[in-house]
Amino acid sequence: MIRSWNALEPHLGFLLEGFALTVAACVLAVAGAVVLGALIASLRTARSRAARTVAAVYCDLFRNVPFIVQLFFFFYGLPELGIYIGAFETGVLAMSIAGGAFVADVIRAGILSIEQGVIEAARVFGLSRWQIFSRIVMPNALRVSVRPMGSVLINLVLTSSILSTITVNELTGTAKIVAATTFMPFEVYAVLLVLYAALTYTLSLAVTGVHRRLNRGMPEAVA
Amino acid sequence: MIEINNVEKRFGSAEVLKRINLKVEPGEVVTILGSSGSGKSTLIRCINGLEALSGGAIRVDGHDVSTSAGLAAARRRSATVFQLFNLYPHMTVLRNVTLAPIQVLGQPRAEAEAQARALIDLVGLTEHADAYPQRLSGGQRQRVGICRALAMQPRYLLLDEVTSALDPEMTGEVLAILARLAAEGTTMVFVTHEIEFARRISDRIVFLEAGELIVDMPTEAFFSEEGGLAVPRIRKFLSKMTKD
Repeated sequence: MIRSWNALEPHLGFLLEGFALTVAACVLAVAGAVVLGALIASLRTARSRAARTVAAVYCDLFRNVPFIVQLFFFFYGLPELGIYIGAFETGVLAMSIAGGAFVADVIRAGILSIEQGVIEAARVFGLSRWQIFSRIVMPNALRVSVRPMGSVLINLVLTSSILSTITVNELTGTAKIVAATTFMPFEVYAVLLVLYAALTYTLSLAVTGVHRRLNRGMPEAVA
Repeated sequence: MIEINNVEKRFGSAEVLKRINLKVEPGEVVTILGSSGSGKSTLIRCINGLEALSGGAIRVDGHDVSTSAGLAAARRRSATVFQLFNLYPHMTVLRNVTLAPIQVLGQPRAEAEAQARALIDLVGLTEHADAYPQRLSGGQRQRVGICRALAMQPRYLLLDEVTSALDPEMTGEVLAILARLAAEGTTMVFVTHEIEFARRISDRIVFLEAGELIVDMPTEAFFSEEGGLAVPRIRKFLSKMTKD
């Protein structure tokens, strides 16, 4: 057992490179998913019927198709449309779009939970629609939705392993290679397990931190 | 001056307000009485533009609330205090009070905060300036609601059943502040069920019944035998309301 761990040592650098790529993809995709999700959620609760329809179709479409299918669709489809971006960029894009659909749903629930009277007060005091959205609606919606959003984002991180199927040598991709060359799949995937767990745990700590910050002054039962 | 001319409001087939005419001059305290569902709150919500009119017109210092520019101008001249407070739950008391002065009136933050602290002192919440609304009692929240309205330096204060969600002790806290504002000459449109209090602070009493304005009288006349009490509906209303 000890010997086999030692045999893995020369490959650790390569695995960590893969991990770095996973972290980069996840950081970008989480940011992309949150921004896109907030945007789609605001469209879903907009006055315009057309905006609501577009947003609803977006959510239904990307939540109901397997991620790997979406990923292949972008990876092979974008070049057909004359859009040439790298595999990594394609992966981040696909993750942002798929994650955004789930994030939008969670934020929308948060928006719908806001008491109408609070928004009416802001209107009566003369705040513009943008001011109401950015200073009243979003902070309150996020306060309620940041926890469920955490689950969605953790899932997104786990989904990043699928990027290995489009030639992105992120953590899972490098692991496959190392496992194949060393014939030590157990040890390799044990390392993988630790690294993914570290990544998602860090994310969940961050989510808890944001949740606390947004819920200052709320009764404990809610916070 | 707030001018309400032939205002009608329908929700579907229900006529909530029927050809209402009312004028409120600067410096006046006008109380709107009437049983629940008579349209009092709807009238306030028409003045501050939360409900679109089905007919007629409302002007606040000449600004027609049915146009968007007019409504924006009208909203700068009036401020509303709500029955259920409607404070911004994610902001401290101080931020609740300063939000609109900074964002809408463009006051510098330091100036807005100094003014807000003065108002918060005035209503006896000095130690709670940095607390969040959820930590406060109902009476304290409503006092914040009043500060938030006053911070806009409104010409007209619209009060929509501001004590209906409060117990008698908290009601007392809030009414004491309103009495002081009335004495200082603040113009108020006051929707309430607090009849004795209304009698003390109002210049005029308006009575709504099923969406119709049936009486508009100086306070003294409203409570006299030959005035308001001569109207059977009002006599019945007052005897019921003052019994308990």
